Amino acid sequence: MTAPTDATTVREAVPASAAPRRFTVRGPGRERRRRRRDRAGYLFLLPWFIGMLFTIVPFFASLYLAFTDYNLLNDPKWIGLENFAEMFRDENLHQALKVTFIYSFVSVPLSLAAALGVAMVLNRGIRALPVYRAVFYLPSLLGASVAVVLLWRYIFGLDGIVNGFLGWFGIDGPAWTSDPDYALTTLIILHVWTFGSPMVIFLAGLRQIPAMYYEAAAVDGASKWRRFRSITLPLLSPIIFFNLIQSLIASFQTFTQGFVMNNGGGGPANSTLFYNLYLYQQGFNQFHMGYASAMAWTLLVIIAAFTALTFFTAKYWVHYDN
Amino acid sequence: MTIDQPPTAPRPELNRRNLMKASGLAGLGLSLAACGRGFGGGGEGGDGTELNMVWWGDSKRAEKTRAALDLFEEAHSGVTIKTEYQDSGPYQDKLATRFAAGDEPDLMAMRMDSLREYADRGALLDLNEHADAVDLSGLSENARNLATVGDSVFGVPAGLNAIGFIVNRTVTDRYGIEIPDGDTWSWDDLAAFAKEVTDASGGEVYGTGFEPATLANIVVYTRQRGEDFFTEDGELGITAETVQAWFEMVEAMRQEGGFPPAGFFEQIGGGPEQSYIATGDLASQIIPTNNFLGYNQAAGGNLALLRIPGETQGVRRGQSVDCPHLWSIAAESEHKDEALQLLDFLVNDVDASKATGTTRGVPADSEVAEELKPSLEPDDQVATEYLIGLLGEDLPRSYTYPPGGSAIADALAAIAVEVEFGRQSAADGAAEFISQAEEALAQ
Amino acid sequence: MSITLRSSRPAPPRSSDDEDTRLERFGSTRRSRFTRHMILCLVGAFMMYPLVWMLSSSLKPNSLIFSDLSLWPTEWDLGNYAEGWTALPYDFTVYFVNSLVIVALSIIGNLLSCSLAAYGFARLDFTGRKLFFALMLGTMMLPGHVLLVPQYILFAKLGWLNTYYPLLVPNFLATNAFYIFLMVQFMRALPRELDDAARIDGCGPFRTFWRIIMPLSLPAFATTAIFTFISVWNEFFGPLLYLTDPELYTVPLALRQFVDSEGQSQWGQMFAMSVLSLAPIVGFFIAGQKYLVKGIATTGLK
Repeated sequence: MTAPTDATTVREAVPASAAPRRFTVRGPGRERRRRRRDRAGYLFLLPWFIGMLFTIVPFFASLYLAFTDYNLLNDPKWIGLENFAEMFRDENLHQALKVTFIYSFVSVPLSLAAALGVAMVLNRGIRALPVYRAVFYLPSLLGASVAVVLLWRYIFGLDGIVNGFLGWFGIDGPAWTSDPDYALTTLIILHVWTFGSPMVIFLAGLRQIPAMYYEAAAVDGASKWRRFRSITLPLLSPIIFFNLIQSLIASFQTFTQGFVMNNGGGGPANSTLFYNLYLYQQGFNQFHMGYASAMAWTLLVIIAAFTALTFFTAKYWVHYDN
Repeated sequence: MTIDQPPTAPRPELNRRNLMKASGLAGLGLSLAACGRGFGGGGEGGDGTELNMVWWGDSKRAEKTRAALDLFEEAHSGVTIKTEYQDSGPYQDKLATRFAAGDEPDLMAMRMDSLREYADRGALLDLNEHADAVDLSGLSENARNLATVGDSVFGVPAGLNAIGFIVNRTVTDRYGIEIPDGDTWSWDDLAAFAKEVTDASGGEVYGTGFEPATLANIVVYTRQRGEDFFTEDGELGITAETVQAWFEMVEAMRQEGGFPPAGFFEQIGGGPEQSYIATGDLASQIIPTNNFLGYNQAAGGNLALLRIPGETQGVRRGQSVDCPHLWSIAAESEHKDEALQLLDFLVNDVDASKATGTTRGVPADSEVAEELKPSLEPDDQVATEYLIGLLGEDLPRSYTYPPGGSAIADALAAIAVEVEFGRQSAADGAAEFISQAEEALAQ
Repeated sequence: MSITLRSSRPAPPRSSDDEDTRLERFGSTRRSRFTRHMILCLVGAFMMYPLVWMLSSSLKPNSLIFSDLSLWPTEWDLGNYAEGWTALPYDFTVYFVNSLVIVALSIIGNLLSCSLAAYGFARLDFTGRKLFFALMLGTMMLPGHVLLVPQYILFAKLGWLNTYYPLLVPNFLATNAFYIFLMVQFMRALPRELDDAARIDGCGPFRTFWRIIMPLSLPAFATTAIFTFISVWNEFFGPLLYLTDPELYTVPLALRQFVDSEGQSQWGQMFAMSVLSLAPIVGFFIAGQKYLVKGIATTGLK
């Protein structure tokens, strides 16, 4: 491999296969090295440590509240596990779990696949790429302003443009937002539509893959699919992993979409009652902040379990360069 | 390994430094432009008392309210009023958070359905204990009772409203249909009228439509049947039979075609401009009377305002005078006296009401309301007369929402949709509603 | 294997667009290119729809917004922009400047603090690293609503209510785990040999971070900057809770004041200002996206 003439080159700096990955010094200097190593790490994490104070205090305050009866206005009363016992009896909570699980397990794979697919197409080198990239990202920029809510109504209304479109084919479209059989589907469609954020991350990740791999593969005559399987997927796997974890966490915590759908009610017929929406109703509409905190920590455990599972499987499919 | 050593490592030169320089400069420039706003600059006002007053609404309502507050500040030197307002949803969240942090405002707008959530927990000032500071003698008994819990009064209506039935005369004239007498019509008359409109228009326009799950609507029907939705001691008064009859009545109208099909009413909210009466798909519907002006403008200016059907056929009258907006004072307010003064001013001062107009409904004090009437726009006068009429009548008392009321509203909304889509029979839905509502109240 | 880090100074000045055009020509027929663009345009039209709709609504007179359903307004009304800009107690200039100050400082804060933490997690080894990393991920998993009240109390105690500090200081202290995790994943994907080479050349961790890892992580930085811009710009709840004086309000808070659920709303003005409020995000994305693609592939690690 030849370096460009004017580049600074470190040739054969480290034999790649035998490069020492960690400090592996033995003997009396070891302890001192470790301490120095720790100090460097902690220095980098210093802002984060200070920041944790802002996070951890409210964090444990809410953990305490999970074991209390707290209505926001009076002092919290310790009631032990009562909130958690109530969660077993609360049918709305079970509905909320169901809605959230369906939403997460359908919309996360769909939107990630869409994001990766579009990112691959856009990464291949195409004229007017910046324009396409910006356009595909547009729906993700909108946030949840009042204007966007009106837009949804206009698109998915009984006589909205989706049904107008279906009408051309003689299909009588449903009430997308007010029929309990369709409302969640509508939200999933909307979620997939805003695949812009994972797409941007995939795009950035794809550009991290050294072009030489593809060039070498092209020389070897590898097919497109083969190049995708053997180069793109493994080298992109840390980014796929990130997007997967991130999307999972975000989708378990979906709030805005459900909130906007029915002015915060979770309707029609609780078909879009997301876990976080129900938690919010309990905390801020019904002043059951103790119960809401218990719900929050339960969700944390659920998300942590799925994240841990993903981390556990990661060693089989996520490749870091070491 | 020392850090001081000059780097022999490759130095990939990028635009990083320029980028950071540029962004740093931009940030600095903007901060300067903002003149330190938001970074703790500026003092804590001067001497004198600063009252904090909050409500929900838009910037227009704020302008009108501010005009009234300016009058107060002129008359009471040494008192300044710091105001804040939001859209109603965010308003609730911020208010709850501020109370929880012990940072509550002095005077605040309170929703009827959250009054007892706050009052029962001792967060609001009992106005009965300060009866000499706020003169409530001009309020009708109906109006005064709105914020009464037991022997205490925790708020004063900032304005009064009721629900009413609007009918689009442009539509009925087009098809030559006579509008029933709004003071005496029955629910059967409504059904017949609705079917007539739908049939005459060939299905272009539905005769009537309203949300069966809206609490205000079913409450009137319940009262007509001699029951209270919530009883005086905060229990559930409505029976399963009444819920079932209500669902069945709506479903029967839907079957006949007078009422729109399931799913017609969108789950995504909207105002008068997007309502089906404004778009011409619906000939009549129920609205809160303080929105009459908005609906009439949106629907082309030819709306009639009728009473709710069934008022003369039921066991007793069903309609009641409500209020969209109460004024309450925080129990822990540090400036109770000034807050009480301001409250008295808002309720009893004619000029204050002239400044605010009917932005929160008709003024609760009947004399003030009469004085205000001539200065109102014609549409507002229609709604005001409607309400003043109700105020003078002998209506059964209505009781404040108990805590848990919002959970009951949510349960009714969910079950009404189940019934609407035929996923549950009216009878099953009614039974389930009663059991869920009782559970919510027990908590 | 050899490591080459090419300085960009002598690199031929070739914009990424030219490169893309060159790449596109390479190895694809004209017809396949045409089909590809057709499909992308179709999908693009679908994605563009919301913006076009908002733009069109903002140009209609208030009375026609909900009755005139065509995308091309039958009647034009540019007044929504002029009137909307001054309709609220303060001009939108004030709200835009406020939002931009918060966004600019948040971006600087996030980039600095999160990249430091990310480098620590991704490429240094120290006692408790895994535990801290798990803790950091854990902070992403708790629904924010239950933190609001304790946080509000905390900031009230610090005397930070009605200032920008509650919105800004946490960003300088790496409290946003999402961005740390994002950068960690990008940094971990960089070849290990870089650190080893740097160490042998006598670089300490700070110098390695500053001279090698940071420049190579430019796409991650750009992604963080763009995401921070969007989320801070659109954020509603934080400013709602912590800001009281209308002169401190941000654009999303101001936009909500056009709408009144009980009366008539100034929809046209709201749409006009919503369109304007999108302009900075779209502009920033377009300006920042060229850095998104400045990965190893283009900066020349071969």
